Amino acid sequence: MKNRQRLSLFQIAWKNLARKKTRSFLTVVGIALATWVLISLFGFNSGYKNSLDRDIDNLGFQMLVVAKGCPYEAATLMLKGGTGLKYMNEDVVKLITREPEVDSVTPMLMQVVFDPNKGQSGGLTAFLGIDPATFPRLKPGLSFKQGSWFTNPEAREVVMGYEAAELEQREVGDVYLIPEKEVELKVVGILNRSGTQDDGTIFLPLQTLQKIFGQEGQLTSVGIKVNKETNLPLFEEKMFKLPDVQVVSLTQVKTTIMTLVSTARILVLSIALIAILISIMGVINTVLMSVMERQKEIGILKAMGALASDVFKLVWLETSLLCLLGGMVGAGLAVLTSRLTEYLIRQLLPFSPSGGLISIDARLILISITAVVLLGLLSGIYPAFRAARMRPLEAIRSEEE
Amino acid sequence: MRFKTQKTNPTRKFFQAHLVPLTVSFVLILTVLSQLPLLAAVGCDLNDPSRDIKFLFPDSTGFRTFYVSVKDSGGQPLLEKIEQALGDKFTGLYETLDVPYTVYEIYRGREIIGYVHGVNQKGRYGGVQVFLALRPGGKITAFYIQKFTGKGARQFRSPEFAAQFQGLELKDFENYQVRTGSENPEGSISRIKNPVPEAVEDFRAILRAVKKNLILMKFLVFARHPSPQAGTEAVASDSGPSWE
Repeated sequence: MKNRQRLSLFQIAWKNLARKKTRSFLTVVGIALATWVLISLFGFNSGYKNSLDRDIDNLGFQMLVVAKGCPYEAATLMLKGGTGLKYMNEDVVKLITREPEVDSVTPMLMQVVFDPNKGQSGGLTAFLGIDPATFPRLKPGLSFKQGSWFTNPEAREVVMGYEAAELEQREVGDVYLIPEKEVELKVVGILNRSGTQDDGTIFLPLQTLQKIFGQEGQLTSVGIKVNKETNLPLFEEKMFKLPDVQVVSLTQVKTTIMTLVSTARILVLSIALIAILISIMGVINTVLMSVMERQKEIGILKAMGALASDVFKLVWLETSLLCLLGGMVGAGLAVLTSRLTEYLIRQLLPFSPSGGLISIDARLILISITAVVLLGLLSGIYPAFRAARMRPLEAIRSEEE
Repeated sequence: MRFKTQKTNPTRKFFQAHLVPLTVSFVLILTVLSQLPLLAAVGCDLNDPSRDIKFLFPDSTGFRTFYVSVKDSGGQPLLEKIEQALGDKFTGLYETLDVPYTVYEIYRGREIIGYVHGVNQKGRYGGVQVFLALRPGGKITAFYIQKFTGKGARQFRSPEFAAQFQGLELKDFENYQVRTGSENPEGSISRIKNPVPEAVEDFRAILRAVKKNLILMKFLVFARHPSPQAGTEAVASDSGPSWE
């Protein structure tokens, strides 16, 4: 006939699903939610690890040696109100460099000034004196938005982290005044955002800072990068033997954090598996119900010459379509809500590294959708089998009865 | 297995024929979306809003915070209007279209009694954060430099210097040229005394910050949330926020 054309198996499956819109929709929602949890969870798994690795790599050194009792992070320093700085003599650098495991070291001096003109009751500003010869090499993650590092080790120059520069509205070529000391310095570099505490740091050449604050020959910390084959716990013990120092190993910190996160991950993975199981049950229920309701129709199809394999394929195709749609909607949800999920995770976790906590890429999306479709195909076997083995006459009669 | 039926919808036919490429495109779009960065400039907030607002509006009972930006309120055309009103360009790394401005809406009970808004301004030696407390009509009731890096900070943050800005509003700054630091003909702004004559650059920076602050409030807040004329009070639609 002129106005007619052939209808494919795909079209029949689609029409069958469209006939029970609410039921199909709810099944798709169930699968989508399970996929969403699955993708978010695996995205978190890789995102968290990558961010933590990047944070630690950006630190550049695996170990930090500080004077006993000295706060080694700007945040701690602020909490302590700028007091409690303890110093080591510069000679400690020679002692550390002597060890064969050491690849490179970088000496640092932190100083804090009280600025009475910050807020109503004043505030603290921290400065980090660094060695221009070694520090940049140990901090490969730092890059410049403007300018570069200092022109010489005694230069009256300053390099600012992005947020520090933004707060002070500084650009390369501007002058910066150290509060309290009234010393003028030239801004020679503004760093790009790194998501670490370097963003809020004001860097000066070590010797310049020592001179301004009258701390010649003194350090507050030494960053150490060891050779790749070094046994870190053994080397750590060695460092502890140095007089009046404490060792902060970043590898240890990383291992502890990863152990804590793994425990939480197993819990969430279990929840995701339960969600997937519930979705599979939902799929089986939807397709089975649809098969039972269409007994007469299936019977007529078979009476018209459809083979058992055709009916099996038809029901299986319906299941696949439900799962594919659910998988795609779930993947979309996971991507669109990844920032929100990340925000919620940050509120819940005791520690979270900077940068993206959830990393969703094409590979993860494809694997997840494929897994959901495969699971759907598996769950569609029973309803498809029931439909395929129906006897035409019995099927037609059963519904009439 | 094939059957004969009515002609199918061309759109549906298209989707059926291109299911695989459509799925792949969908996955790719999602991947690109997930990689978009969320970086923005930083605005100017009060260090301790509860304490600072009580200091700027002693008769307030609460406040609400909201954020506005030139980018979201009109984009480039609005920026050009703002620059024209200011008589200067937005320049540098930090004076950009996407800076989120924090506005504190101040309440006494359910009445809106004013606003507090701050801007960052580049000074000679560092950043200056200038906050203004404004009545709903736009008149300055209090002036507060939250942060000042430079010489003469004590004088610029003194109550005597701040008192000179009380009662001023945007129309007082209309003849003040921020680029040259002059007012022609001389008016209210010329009468503001610089407490540190050697820090003229910082003095001008403060005046620019005040003018910029008032202009931003005009275009980003008063134009969008019309307030009653000066001297009257606006009333919030529901119960006003209270101190935490």
